[in-house]
Amino acid sequence: MFKNHLKIAWRNISKDRMFTTIKIGGFAIGIAACILIFLFIRDEVSYDTHNTKKDQAFRVIGEIMLNGEKRQHVFFPSPFAQALTNDYPEIIKSGRFLKHELLSPVGKELRTLNQTQSNFEEEFVFVDPSLLEILDIPLVLGSRENALSAPNSIVLSKEKADKYFPEGNALGKQIILDNDVENPYTIGGVMGIISSNTHFKYDFLITKAHHEFWEGESANWLSSNYANYVLVKPGTDIASLEEKLMQTFDKYAVPALQGNASEEEIREMRNSSRFILQPVTDIHLRSVDIQDNLSHSDIRFVWLFGGIAIFILLLACINFINLSTAKSANRAKEVGLRKTVGAFRQNLVTQFLIESVIFSFISFGSGVFLAWMLLPYFNEIASKEILIPWGALWFLPLIVLASIVVGIIAGLYPSFYLSSFKPVDVLKGSLSLGSKSGNLRSGLVIFQFSVSVILLIGTLVIYKQMDYILNKELGFNKDQVLVIKGTNTLGDKVNTFKEELISLSGVHQVSISDYLPITETKRNGNAFWKEGRVGENKGVAGQMWRVDEDYIKTMGMKLSSGRDFSKDRRDDAESGAIINEKMVEQLGLTDPVGKKITNSGQVFEVIGVVEDFHFASLKEAIQPLCMAIGNESSIVTARINGDSPKDLIKSIHAIWDDLSPNQSLRYTFLDQRFEVMHKDIQRLGIIFNSFALFALFVACLGLFALSAFMVEQRNKEISIRIVLGASHFTIYKLLSKDFLKLVVISIVIASPIAWFVMKRWLEDFEYKVTLNWQVFVWCAVLVTVIAILTVSYQSISATFIKPLKSLRTE
Amino acid sequence: MIQIKNLKKSFRTEEVETLALNNVNLTVEEGEFVAIMGPSGCGKSTLLNILGMLDNPTEGSYHFGGEEVGKLRENQRTRIRKGNLGFVFQSFNLIDELTVFENVELPLIYLNMKKSEREQKVNAVLERMKIAHREKHFPQQLSGGQQQRVAIARAVVTNAKLILADEPTGNLDSKNGIEVMNLLTELNQEGTTIIMVTHSDRDSHYAHRIINLFDGQIVTESQNKPFEVNA
Repeated sequence: MFKNHLKIAWRNISKDRMFTTIKIGGFAIGIAACILIFLFIRDEVSYDTHNTKKDQAFRVIGEIMLNGEKRQHVFFPSPFAQALTNDYPEIIKSGRFLKHELLSPVGKELRTLNQTQSNFEEEFVFVDPSLLEILDIPLVLGSRENALSAPNSIVLSKEKADKYFPEGNALGKQIILDNDVENPYTIGGVMGIISSNTHFKYDFLITKAHHEFWEGESANWLSSNYANYVLVKPGTDIASLEEKLMQTFDKYAVPALQGNASEEEIREMRNSSRFILQPVTDIHLRSVDIQDNLSHSDIRFVWLFGGIAIFILLLACINFINLSTAKSANRAKEVGLRKTVGAFRQNLVTQFLIESVIFSFISFGSGVFLAWMLLPYFNEIASKEILIPWGALWFLPLIVLASIVVGIIAGLYPSFYLSSFKPVDVLKGSLSLGSKSGNLRSGLVIFQFSVSVILLIGTLVIYKQMDYILNKELGFNKDQVLVIKGTNTLGDKVNTFKEELISLSGVHQVSISDYLPITETKRNGNAFWKEGRVGENKGVAGQMWRVDEDYIKTMGMKLSSGRDFSKDRRDDAESGAIINEKMVEQLGLTDPVGKKITNSGQVFEVIGVVEDFHFASLKEAIQPLCMAIGNESSIVTARINGDSPKDLIKSIHAIWDDLSPNQSLRYTFLDQRFEVMHKDIQRLGIIFNSFALFALFVACLGLFALSAFMVEQRNKEISIRIVLGASHFTIYKLLSKDFLKLVVISIVIASPIAWFVMKRWLEDFEYKVTLNWQVFVWCAVLVTVIAILTVSYQSISATFIKPLKSLRTE
Repeated sequence: MIQIKNLKKSFRTEEVETLALNNVNLTVEEGEFVAIMGPSGCGKSTLLNILGMLDNPTEGSYHFGGEEVGKLRENQRTRIRKGNLGFVFQSFNLIDELTVFENVELPLIYLNMKKSEREQKVNAVLERMKIAHREKHFPQQLSGGQQQRVAIARAVVTNAKLILADEPTGNLDSKNGIEVMNLLTELNQEGTTIIMVTHSDRDSHYAHRIINLFDGQIVTESQNKPFEVNA
C-alpha cells in the first residue's frame, strides 16, 4: 500500500508543474530562511560553551540605582579581584581584565627584535594570569601557570605568533611595543583555537601581574577600571555569594570613599548597590544594558529572529495547506473511489500524510541547498562565519526529522479535510467543494498577509530609524574629517606634523586629541561640582576630555555662548574649560560663562558652552561633558576639502614618511567610523529586511497560486459572464476584488500590532523617529500594489478565456 | 441476498426537505439481474447508493446477507462493502493518476492481499476483460468502452457477490454498450448478482426483473426474459 501511496504522490507532484513548483518552492524558501536563522541563532548561543568550567565561571557586575534608573557596569578598582579570593572561600580564583584606551591603547605598534619597522596591531588587553584558567583559554605553547606570571610577559594568538614567528618558536621570544625598547615583552604562551565562539577574543594578552599604571594603583579603591572574572567552587550558592559580596563594599570601598563623599552619599550608594555574578556563557547575549565597553549581541535579536523563522515557516505551511485544500476538487473523485472500493478513512489520512511528507522532504532538500547557496551572502550581512554543519552527526537526522514533523503538521489539516469527503456526495457530484475550506483559506491568507504587513512596517520603521541615525544633526560635522591614528609615536614632532598638515592647501583645520565623538576612542569618566560644593553636593557624572585649541573648529561644533579656546590666552591652557549644555543643565548653572567648576581637585573657569553633540551611540542620551586643553597626541584629526582627497592623502603620506620613516600612516574618516558605530543597527536592519522580503515573497507565492486556482474554479462563471457581455475590466474587477478584500482586512489587523511592536523597539533609542501614519499608509499601498500585481496575471488571463471551449468542457 | 423494507430517504436543505425514496420494499435474490428504471430524479441512483452501502436510509430496514446494514457507520459499511460489492459507474470513475493495472489492483490492496496474489488476480481479470494489453496505460489513454471494461474488471477482481451498475452504458456508443452489457450478463450467468440503474429499454432487457420507480416509489415490477449474450 505504501508503494501505491508513493507512486500516486509522485504522479500528483509531476502532474501539475506550476502548483508543485509553488508548493515546493514556497516551502523551500521558507525552510532555507529557517535554516539560516537556525544557524545564526545556534552561532549566537554557542558563545563560551567551550569552557569546561562554564558553570563555575562568572563575571562580576555592579548594579546601582541612580534616580530610579538601574545602571549596571563591570568596572571595579584594581585591588578588588585580590580581595575576592582573600575574603570569600567560595571563590577559587579571580582575575582582572582591562581594555581601556585611556590607560593603554588597544592598538599598538609591534615589532620583533629583528625587525626595524613596526606593524600596527589591535586587540592588546591586560589580564591577570588566572584568567587563562577561568576562561579556559587553551595554550598550544607554554603553560597556563607560567605564561603570564613573569612581569612584561605576553600571550599571543596562534595567528599572530605564526605571523611574527613563522618557524613556530615564539615561546620565550621578545617583542617591542610602541617602540619602547626599554621594556620589551616576553612571549610566555601561544593561544590555541577556541572551539566555540567566545566573547573574549583578543590577539595579545599582556600580563597584569607586577604591573601598575601608576604608583599605588594596586591599592587604590577609588579608580574603577577593571572587569573581574571569578571561578567559584562547584555547587556554590550564587545568590547568597552575590549578597555576601556587599561586605567587600563595606570593608574596602567605604573607608576609601570617606573624605571624598559625604556620609549620606556613601550610605545612599551602599543601599542602592548590589553585586551580580553573570555566567560567562551569558556575556555575549545578555550584556546589552551592562556598561563594559565591549560589543555584544542581544538576546532579543535571537528571540526576534527565532520568531521570524517560525512565522516564515508558518507562512510556508499555510501555502501548503491552502494549495492542498484548494486542489481538493481534483482529489475528491479519487477519495470517493478509494472509499467505494474499500479504503477506510485512516488509509486515506495516511496516504495524504505520506504525500505531504514527500513534499516536505523535497522542500527540505531544496531548502538546504538554497540555504547553502545563500550562506555566503548571509554571512556577509550578519558579519558571521557560519558554515552548514554537514559533518555533524546530528545535522542530517535533524533535517530528516524536521521534514517529517513539518510534513505531518502541514499535511494534517488537508489530510483530514480531503479524507472526510463522502463517496456518495462525490459520486453524485453534490460535494460543495470550496465553501467550507474557502473560509479557512481566506483566514489563512489574512494571517499570511497580516504577518507580511507587520514585517513590512517593521522594515520601513527600521529603515527610517537607520536613516535618521546616520543623517541626524549630531552637533558636529562628521563629513570630510580625516582621522590619523598612532601619532603619539611621533613624540614631540606631533606639533610639526600638525603645522605641516595645516600648510597643505586641501586642509582647513587640524586638531590633536585622543577624544573623538565616536566609540573606541578615549573616554574619561569623572565627577564635576560647582566650585566649593565638593562633599556637599552630589557630583555630576560626566566626561573630561583633553583637547587642543583647534578642536571645536576642526570638529565643526557650535558654541552656544562664550568663546573658543585661544592660543593667545595662557590661562585657557591652565584652567579654561568649555562645557556642553547638558553639563550646564546638570550642574544647575545660570549664565555659565565665567562660572567655576571643580574636577579631580582642579578648578576650571567656564569660558564657553558648546551645543550638545553626540559622542556615543544614538541609543544613549548625551552625557555631561567638559573639555580642557591637554596633551593627548595619539590621534590627529584634519578637516579637509573633498576636491582631490587622493592627492591630499599622498601629500600627507609624504609628510608622515618624512617624520616617521619606520611606521606606516594609519588613517580613517570620521564618517566611516561613525557608520561602524551603528553597524549593529544597520546589520539588524538588513537581516530583518531580508527576511521580511522572504516572508512577503512566500505569501505572494501563495496568493498567486490561489488566484490561479480560483480562476480555474470560476471558469464556467467567467465564460457565462463573457457570453452575456461582460467586459475584460468587469471580469478583472470581479476576480481581483475578493483578494483585495482579504489584503485590506490584513492591513487593518496588522497595523495596530505593528504600531505596538515598533513603538516598543524604538523605545530602545534615546533619539528616534516618530511613528507617523504615513508609514502605515505607504505600507498599505505597497502591500496592496504587490497583491494586485500578484493576482493580476491570473485575473487578466481569465478575461481572455474562450467561453465556447470552457462551456463545452462543462 | 437483499431485503429492504419501508425504506425512506430524505434530503434536507435549510428550507426544503425532499423525499427521494418513499416506502420502498424490495427483495433481490442471489444470482438475480435486476434493472431499476424510471425518469430522472425518481430516486434510482439514491436507491443504488443505499444498496451499495455508500449511504444510509433515513428510515426503514436494509438487510444484506441477513445482516441489518441500514444503520451502520461509515467504517462498518466499508468493512462489509470490501470484497463483497463492486461498482460500475456511467462515467467510469477510474483514478486518472493510476494505470489500468493499478486501478484494478486497488480493491485488492485494501483487502491487504499479498502482491503476488494481487498480480495473479489482476492479470486474470484483465485477460478476461480483453484489456490486458493496455495494463500500463492511464485511463485518459483509453476509449470509453475500454475504460468501462477496466471499471468492470475493478468491480469483479475481488469476486464480488453483488455488482451495482449505475447507467453503465450511458457514456458509450451502441457497440461498446452492447459489449459492456454482454460482460455483465456473463458475470451474472456465473453467479454474480447484478443490480443496474438504466434509462435504456434495450439494456433493461438484459435483466431478469425490471423495477420502475416514480417519485421515490416502486410503481411497477415486471419479470423479463433476458437477451442472450451476443458473442
